[in-house]
Amino acid sequence: MSSREKILAAVTANQPAEVPLPTVPFFEGDASVEKFTALVQAIGGRVVEVAALAHLEEVVRQLFPADYRMASPLLSSTNVSVDAQTPLAVLADVELAVLQGEFGVAENGAIWLPEENMLHRALPMITQHLALVLSQQQLVATMHQAYARLATVGGYGTFLAGPSKTADIEQSLVIGAHGARSLTVLLVP
Amino acid sequence: MSHSERSDIFLLDAERTTWHDETLWFVREKRDKAVYATPEFQKLRQLASDIKDHTLSRLDFYLQQFEENARRNGVHVHWAADATEHNAIVLGLLRQHGATRVVKSKSMLTEECHLNPHLLANGIEVIDTDLGERIIQLREEAPSHVVLPAIHLKKEDVGDTFHKYLGTEKGNNDPQQLTETARQHLREKFLAGQVAISGVNFAVAETGTVVVCTNEGNADLGVNLAQVHIACMGMEKLIPRLSDLSVFTRILTRSATGQPITTYTSHFTRPAEGKELHIVIVDNGRTQQLGRPDFRASLKCIRCGACMNTCPVYRRSGGHSYDFTIPGPIGAILSPNIDMRKHASLPFASTLCGSCTDVCPVKIDIHTQLYKWRQVLGEAGKLPASKKWSMRLLSRVLAKPGMYSAGGKVARQALRLLPHGLTHGQGYNPWAIARELPEPPQQSFREWYAQQPQNDKA
Ligand code: SF4
Repeated sequence: MSSREKILAAVTANQPAEVPLPTVPFFEGDASVEKFTALVQAIGGRVVEVAALAHLEEVVRQLFPADYRMASPLLSSTNVSVDAQTPLAVLADVELAVLQGEFGVAENGAIWLPEENMLHRALPMITQHLALVLSQQQLVATMHQAYARLATVGGYGTFLAGPSKTADIEQSLVIGAHGARSLTVLLVP
Repeated sequence: MSHSERSDIFLLDAERTTWHDETLWFVREKRDKAVYATPEFQKLRQLASDIKDHTLSRLDFYLQQFEENARRNGVHVHWAADATEHNAIVLGLLRQHGATRVVKSKSMLTEECHLNPHLLANGIEVIDTDLGERIIQLREEAPSHVVLPAIHLKKEDVGDTFHKYLGTEKGNNDPQQLTETARQHLREKFLAGQVAISGVNFAVAETGTVVVCTNEGNADLGVNLAQVHIACMGMEKLIPRLSDLSVFTRILTRSATGQPITTYTSHFTRPAEGKELHIVIVDNGRTQQLGRPDFRASLKCIRCGACMNTCPVYRRSGGHSYDFTIPGPIGAILSPNIDMRKHASLPFASTLCGSCTDVCPVKIDIHTQLYKWRQVLGEAGKLPASKKWSMRLLSRVLAKPGMYSAGGKVARQALRLLPHGLTHGQGYNPWAIARELPEPPQQSFREWYAQQPQNDKA
């Protein structure tokens, strides 16, 4: 008998009598821009309101040094082009990635970022700085609404909440562990 | 060595013990704040508990559903009955790809299986990429906590370690600078990694997805740069539906560190174009635990660490005193299932205060199980020696009222007359090492009761 069969047989023999699977209620909450902004700040990110999508390029130029090696499918002033085949050496030098976030979760400041919006799966983590463009209209209150919006999670996708961080040395919080050192949310109307 | 003997070693450094105790209590307080700010938290705990109970009751079905969906997604699924088979599967995959450089993100399962020594012995460089894990890997230590693996260390220890292995300046103990050094050091490893190994926080049966939660981003970075991703999971990580993640992502970090969510909650369903994703499902004693009605609830654990942070014994004895991959209260109920004799002292490393049960986000009755393990160990004749003889004596005395009352009389007199050094002798009264005995009363309750006027006795 293979391990698979042995394990499954032991599970069948040992598992208890069936108990029901509960229905998870749809817990609601505050989905306001204020709440979302407060949470993003609390987890170490910053929120910048952009008056109109047309100003995005200009705002990015104001927020980040002009000579940053930048990858983005949303802006015309990018100077690094990235796709799924981009060699690691090129990826490793990216200083700023500006990507589209799908929707934000007000209770924890997380933003859903599916593979399709990443250019390369490693880009959101390997870039030194990350900016996510997010529409103010796309905010939900809790993770219940968040998962309800996801008919599928695709091949790969992440709820990204703030910059990479660690507190592994004496519990002191350090921003910028392995992933992006900073997270900026560019909130568009 | 028993738990209490190993604790003695930890307790030698009083200052560090106090720091450890206070720091973990601080984490517990952060948990409380996050929990109280979530009005439906208690409902979420109940839901999480019920979802896990249901999953365990149909685990054979969900395992197969998960496997089928994962296969359909182009994922390779492997089954390992024990640690040896798990390690052989992983090494086999590495060999198949001619890989010699592996980056690994945090996984208590691979710790449990002792994967690293196995790979190292076979000529594979395996680098732990979680900062805390990297620190203890350099020091050749085991993690002392499931979420905070290096919580037993002070920044001076980390400074020394990095000076020795990563060439930082001697005496540089600044967490910010040390973290930056690790970031640079590990970036090279990430970029060179041929295969990335990760753990799994949740496995969704209906979609065949594995979910990995980190704050550092090390799992995503490693996995998305490497050609092959191997995700290793205990079979109890399953949950039925994608929407169940809403419950678990809301309780996991709030219970663990008081954060509202981890920085990265990543869903791996299909490998990237031209790459491979392997999932290894591991039993290693779990089916046996599933068959123990009193203890199967321990399989609901989501490894948040809250029971450790709150435990008055763990906080003052340190994770290494448990000498088991998972320390603290949950480790003390998981470990006897693996080796009853070796871990016999762990269910006694508790005051049974119940604080662990109060904070557990999936409502495991941890302290009840600790108590039950004590009975099982007693019946199996596996009590620690010091407990065995004193318990036998006590049960004989308690079974005979005459002996009990005579003994009490003698004790009351003796305690008054004998010198302190004798009644509190460390050799035979370990209880008195850090405690004072109360002043013995003049008479017993029975003697006092017998003297009361008859009509007062109802
Ligand atoms: S037993 Fe409960 S509190 Fe302890 S680590 Fe597991 S889930 Fe967390």
